[in-house]
Amino acid sequence: MSGSIEVRGLSRTFHTTVRRPGFLGAVRSLVNPERVAKHAVTDISFEVQPGELLALLGPNGAGKSTTIKMLTGILTPTAGEARVVGTVPYEERERNARNIGAVFGQRTQLWWDLPVRESFAILRDIYDVPADEHASRLREFDDLLDLSSFWDTRVRHLSLGQRVRSDLAAALLHDPPVVFLDEPTIGMDVVVKEQVREFLRYQVEERGRTVLLTTHDMTEVERLAERVVLINHGRLVLDGTLDEIRRKFGSTWQVRATLADGHAPVEPWPGVVLVRRDGPQVVFGPDGPAAPTVHQALKQVIERYEVTDIALDEAELEDVMRAAYVQAGDMAADMAGDVAGDVAAQAPARTQGG
Amino acid sequence: MAMPSALRAWRAARVTPLGELHTPPRMTAALLRLTVQVVLVASLWRGLYAATGTTAGLDREQAVTYAVLAVLATRVRELDQYSGRDTVLQHMHFGTIVYWYLRPLPPQRYYALRALGEQIYGFAWAIVGYAVCVAAGVVQPPKSAAVAGVFMVSLLLGQWVLYYIMLAIDQLCFFTLRNGAAMLILIFAQNLLSGVYAPLWFFPDWFITLSSFLPFQATLSVPLSLHVGRIQLSDAGTQLAIQAAWVVVLALLTRLVWRRAALRVISQGG
Amino acid sequence: MSSQKSWSTPLFSLKPWRTVWRITKLNFRSQLEYRSEFLMMIAIGAIWQVSVIVFATVLLTRFTGMGGWESADVLLIAAIRMLAHGLFVLFLGRVHGLSRHIQEGVIDTYLVRPMPVYRQLQLQYFPTNAIGDLTVAVGLMVGALTRSELDWTAGRITYLIICVLGGMLLEAALFTVVACASLRFPAADYWGRWLEELLGTFGSYPLNVLPKAVGGFLTFALPLAFVAYFPAAVLTGHGHDTGVPYWLAAASPLLGAVAYLGTRLLWKWSLRHYTGVNG
Repeated sequence: MSGSIEVRGLSRTFHTTVRRPGFLGAVRSLVNPERVAKHAVTDISFEVQPGELLALLGPNGAGKSTTIKMLTGILTPTAGEARVVGTVPYEERERNARNIGAVFGQRTQLWWDLPVRESFAILRDIYDVPADEHASRLREFDDLLDLSSFWDTRVRHLSLGQRVRSDLAAALLHDPPVVFLDEPTIGMDVVVKEQVREFLRYQVEERGRTVLLTTHDMTEVERLAERVVLINHGRLVLDGTLDEIRRKFGSTWQVRATLADGHAPVEPWPGVVLVRRDGPQVVFGPDGPAAPTVHQALKQVIERYEVTDIALDEAELEDVMRAAYVQAGDMAADMAGDVAGDVAAQAPARTQGG
Repeated sequence: MAMPSALRAWRAARVTPLGELHTPPRMTAALLRLTVQVVLVASLWRGLYAATGTTAGLDREQAVTYAVLAVLATRVRELDQYSGRDTVLQHMHFGTIVYWYLRPLPPQRYYALRALGEQIYGFAWAIVGYAVCVAAGVVQPPKSAAVAGVFMVSLLLGQWVLYYIMLAIDQLCFFTLRNGAAMLILIFAQNLLSGVYAPLWFFPDWFITLSSFLPFQATLSVPLSLHVGRIQLSDAGTQLAIQAAWVVVLALLTRLVWRRAALRVISQGG
Repeated sequence: MSSQKSWSTPLFSLKPWRTVWRITKLNFRSQLEYRSEFLMMIAIGAIWQVSVIVFATVLLTRFTGMGGWESADVLLIAAIRMLAHGLFVLFLGRVHGLSRHIQEGVIDTYLVRPMPVYRQLQLQYFPTNAIGDLTVAVGLMVGALTRSELDWTAGRITYLIICVLGGMLLEAALFTVVACASLRFPAADYWGRWLEELLGTFGSYPLNVLPKAVGGFLTFALPLAFVAYFPAAVLTGHGHDTGVPYWLAAASPLLGAVAYLGTRLLWKWSLRHYTGVNG
């Protein structure tokens, strides 16, 4: 059985108390607190198909964690609706709990004082997993995550990488069709990160699980996600493939060519600009909204000039995302209108990385 | 479903004892602490009674028995709960409380199972301590089999009431308490009003009247007074009924608070 | 740890103390931030006050003349102990319960800041409950002094004040030892809580009601007799029947100061050997 996620018009507003500055202000807030509404998530809609891995991206405080909390049933939305494998998570939390697994960054759900394997056993009983199924799944996870080297160690003595691997295993032991991962690889070394990615890829491709992932690691996104949803200031600004994002925000390619004739005249043409020239070495870049893609530009250069060598630099995904976050911020603000945008800009602290 | 759910209960219940067994120094520490505490408390009360005959209806042996039993009884829930990072206070602090609400096991049932395991584990300690103290003549055994029986029932009810009181204190962490010091003070107050530090009989009348309206004396003062014979068998029925009434009242109250706590988590997102 | 050096300004420099004051003010304000908790701490303080006073009077009225002491004199032991404890909680109380913070890695953060770790530790938060503790303690002290039949000369009052400060330092010393241990063993917190319980339970009686061995234990193994019992004995004329030489009992406050300085050195040493938590 595989699962899917449907989100329609989901919104969440938090009410917080504004603190007045200064000592007298603190006392006044104590007596007469002033409440203010903060829109953490506004009117978000998207869908995740069974067996798909979707990366939910956005800068800190964009509303990613708030969205995940609503989908796991920990938070009720102020408006809109969400369904996970046909269940409304915040209405039927326990039923939803059987369908999902979740890891929240560095917060561990393991029992601090017990060996990891004991935590697995407790979870097995909590989720009613048959013993043989539990054992075989544990073997499978051990092959991928190398758990047996430390699963008799007490959780308090594990390194971060070991603990997050254990937490991932713990979240998937009951075979949930849908998995939510809120920054799972934060703070881990490259080897462990790769191991975790491999594990996730296996879970999606071989086991057909649906995964919703938030991360700030662009390598991870490149390696894992076919599709991304970009949110900023609590609003959805883009839902598409990585290529689409590159096309939209990543217009920073460069084509470097070495001309056969070092003195040949070089002219820019519509959509392409000459960035630099140093003898036979020329560098072209995109110009304006009508710029060709990097591949079209490559073709055009070869057609126009006789070249002995040619190379292209595509913008790193990280640069693309930086551009996307900045532009998307403006877009979100435009969508929200000026007043709401101001408030959303100061999303409450608890959604940040939480 | 009966079989798996029994097993389920067993796993959650044994978290505390298992954690202790994995940490032998902690058990040694508990043994040392219990021994020293019993010796100190027994000598203190003997010393206090050196110049006094019977006071507040308790003679020397009754007072010493009461005080030592109180030390043993606090052992039942006096565990190093924080070391397991599984208290509500810590889960709220680390943000891991969300996982309690992400499982198909309701948080209130998980909490109850954990507490049950903890209380049974502590009870094993208390029983061994009791046997040793009776053998050493520090504690006088109950006067009759009837007293022993009533004491057992009352002790059970008392532990039940205690569970709800500790639960209520933990539940406060969902709403307001972020401070371990406040927890310690609350637990001190709870101990004092239960008669752990000194039998409530010693206190002024207004204090006894006040505490008769509160659930705390039902946890320890009542069963121990039955044991030492300060509450007569003829009054036992009333006392047991009051204890049972507290169980019902607190059960309803804490159940209500669990519901509010869930709402709180769900409206704030843990 | 070289960060420690940069603050080795002369003892008389006011700058660090101005910082301490400023942070304390901020801490107090942050206590006001959590509205319900602040109000609740006050309520809890009230429960605490009533219970302690009731407890003290219980023992005094039930067991008059315990250990050959007048009840007003026993009250003085309790008052010294409570006042010393209240001041400890206010000024140095954050060493207690340190283990949990160590597990969260706060020491690592403190080590990279240019302020002594011990001071940063004390500035963690404002102990709202100390207000309650001190209110009771002052009340108890006033009660003890008014009921006392001693002639309160300037010399006696000075000695009393010194004793209270000495008691505070001794309690701080004991908890600093536990804190040093918890830098290495997380379970040390457990001993800290036991220590608090022992101080609370046995710190306020004339210890000569206990058998000699037990009294000796509470004098030499766990020196809680020096917090309030010996000073009160010296003040009330019981100084010669405490079981220790008179000069030793009289030197209690000095002992507290020496013990505190000693444990501060121990703390420095332990911090140098601190290896961090969880790799």
